[in-house]
Amino acid sequence: MEGGSFIVEGWRPGPDAPASGWQSIFSVYAGDNDVPPMLGTYTVENSRLVFRPRFEPSPSIRLRAVFRPPSGSPVEAVFEPKHAKAAPSTRVEHVYPSTDLLPANQLKFYIHFSAPMSRGEAWQRIKLLDGQGVPVELPFLEIEQELWDRDYRRLTVLFDPGRIKRGLYSLEEAGPALEENRRYTLVIDSGWRDARGVPLTGEYRKAFSVGPALRSAVEPARWKIHAPPPESTDALRVQFDRPMDAALSTRLLTVQRNGVPVLGTPSLAEMETEWRFVPSQPWTEGEYTIVVDTFLEDLAGNRVGRPFDVDVFEQVTKRVEKSSVSLPFRIRR
Amino acid sequence: MKTRSFSQSLLFAVTLCCSTTVALAGSAASLKAGKAELKSAGPLAFGPDGILFVGDTVGAAIFALDTNDRTPGRGTNRSFEIKGINQKIAALLGTEADQILIHDVVVNPLSRNVYLSLSRGRGPEAVPVIMKAEASGKLTELSLENIRYSKVDLPDAPDPSAKDRRGQSRRLESITDLKYVNGNVIVAGLSNEEFSSTLRSIPFPFQAANKGASIEIFHGSHGRFETNAPVRTFVPFDINNKPYILAAYTCTPLVTIPVSELKPGNKVKGTTIAELGNRNRPLDMVVYRKGGKDYILMANSSRGVMKLPAANLDKYQPITTQTEKEGVPYETIASLKGVQQLDKLDEANALLLMDDGGSLDLRSVPLP
Repeated sequence: MEGGSFIVEGWRPGPDAPASGWQSIFSVYAGDNDVPPMLGTYTVENSRLVFRPRFEPSPSIRLRAVFRPPSGSPVEAVFEPKHAKAAPSTRVEHVYPSTDLLPANQLKFYIHFSAPMSRGEAWQRIKLLDGQGVPVELPFLEIEQELWDRDYRRLTVLFDPGRIKRGLYSLEEAGPALEENRRYTLVIDSGWRDARGVPLTGEYRKAFSVGPALRSAVEPARWKIHAPPPESTDALRVQFDRPMDAALSTRLLTVQRNGVPVLGTPSLAEMETEWRFVPSQPWTEGEYTIVVDTFLEDLAGNRVGRPFDVDVFEQVTKRVEKSSVSLPFRIRR
Repeated sequence: MKTRSFSQSLLFAVTLCCSTTVALAGSAASLKAGKAELKSAGPLAFGPDGILFVGDTVGAAIFALDTNDRTPGRGTNRSFEIKGINQKIAALLGTEADQILIHDVVVNPLSRNVYLSLSRGRGPEAVPVIMKAEASGKLTELSLENIRYSKVDLPDAPDPSAKDRRGQSRRLESITDLKYVNGNVIVAGLSNEEFSSTLRSIPFPFQAANKGASIEIFHGSHGRFETNAPVRTFVPFDINNKPYILAAYTCTPLVTIPVSELKPGNKVKGTTIAELGNRNRPLDMVVYRKGGKDYILMANSSRGVMKLPAANLDKYQPITTQTEKEGVPYETIASLKGVQQLDKLDEANALLLMDDGGSLDLRSVPLP
């Protein structure tokens, strides 16, 4: 084996492939059982037959190269797996929401990891335990695709909206996943493998209590804006009236001046009840606007101007849906 | 007289044949040869003429690929079995069996060959691969290097590589299912940030100017109307000769939605027709005909495979009040367990991907 290719030494191949293809003479197998040979391409280079696998083989597999010359017995070469798995180093960095008091109609968790993870085992690795340590049955929407971000460092876990109590539910159904005045623990299993195939450094737990369901629309008019002084790069601070969704409040609030976006860095504080914005350039005196995209959600999925549950269908079609709401503020001495 | 009428009917037949050919060529003609740069390969659906649609969540796009696989498959009573297909694919691609994730399995209705979308690898570096499986057991890769294809970007999807002033967006919309219905590709999606479950109807051949737009689905249940719950899987179905889609959620597993209402900007009301309880996780569905009657076969995570009569779907009362187990009566097929994927192989058989203790087997079973 040379540079990822497999080469037959000491045998001169003819100019053309045999009728049944080069693979009938020379194959490389990844795996021990009766498996098909690896896909790849064959070439004749410097009078040697060369096989290049379609993909670079995994370093943890034993490879078996078998050469069956037209006359003579087969020659086999075995390539042992290269290296042992690395030591665990990836861990859960944070689970949002940060608060330990969640509404009974909590909609999602965001789980943040310190390094890229692998997908395909999320639902075996996440459990919700009740106050007695008993797992709650199917509290989450177990999507086969798993809702990762592009880097596989953040997983979105949705509570099953069908389990969120809205009133009556049939006897066929399990009750709501979260009940008011009870305590629960979200447990993340350390066996969850990262992108290298290595488990986490340890288990992660988030204990929380459950309060009443939150069923009112988000109202930016109720927020408190703390404007920083001019000629500073102090943070603009907006206090919400309730904790907001971590991902959406980072992305869906922007600052404008005369319709032009102001560049800067947003962040969240006080367990997602406060949004802060540090400008790239110092503030100057004058009128500014905070633009709030109406897709912004609180912990229960209520949006700006629209609660999560819509009681009467007709109301939805009649309501004029604006895409954003503006909050003016002034920077002054 | 006889001679003339014979040649007239022959002319008619020839004309019909030619116009059909032109129609088929219309779909395939919009595809151009080149390298189809899929960033991921998720849900699959066949369109006309051997065209395979692939949902690419990471690339935020739908691809139409010409499989060039149009030779009609023979017979309706062939059986199909490939045991341990995950192990075989892993060996072909030089990796361990648990590094192969199979995302979808569909049957080409023309050739009866089976196509699988999968990832080689499970992390951010995973490579999308599409494989073709034949009844003989032969497995080949559908090469994307030089293939006739076209592509449409999903509307409203942020550019994956765009860095805005706040850094790269982490928002992704996962494509959960897609189907070709009456000249449109219907795509179900679920965002990883704002709680939104969308259906999009995108005309095919893809046009630059018309990417479809999202449709919000509301459904009725328990006497109140609820906001959108994610569409997990759906299948086209005709009720009284009108096209509908049958969509499965989790809390209210079956709703019908008229295709005529799937227009951009519409808020559509689905009608709940089956209340099977929220312990049910619908994975896949097909509609088939047996003994002159229509049935729905649904694979669920916890209930196994269920068979529901579809004959009078429009006559079932929409579920609006709390009940025990009302609506469409169903039968559980107890012998089929661990079914992950389901499609029709031909008019008499279903094709299943089944988990048999870690070995994934692709096999056909008669439609029950």
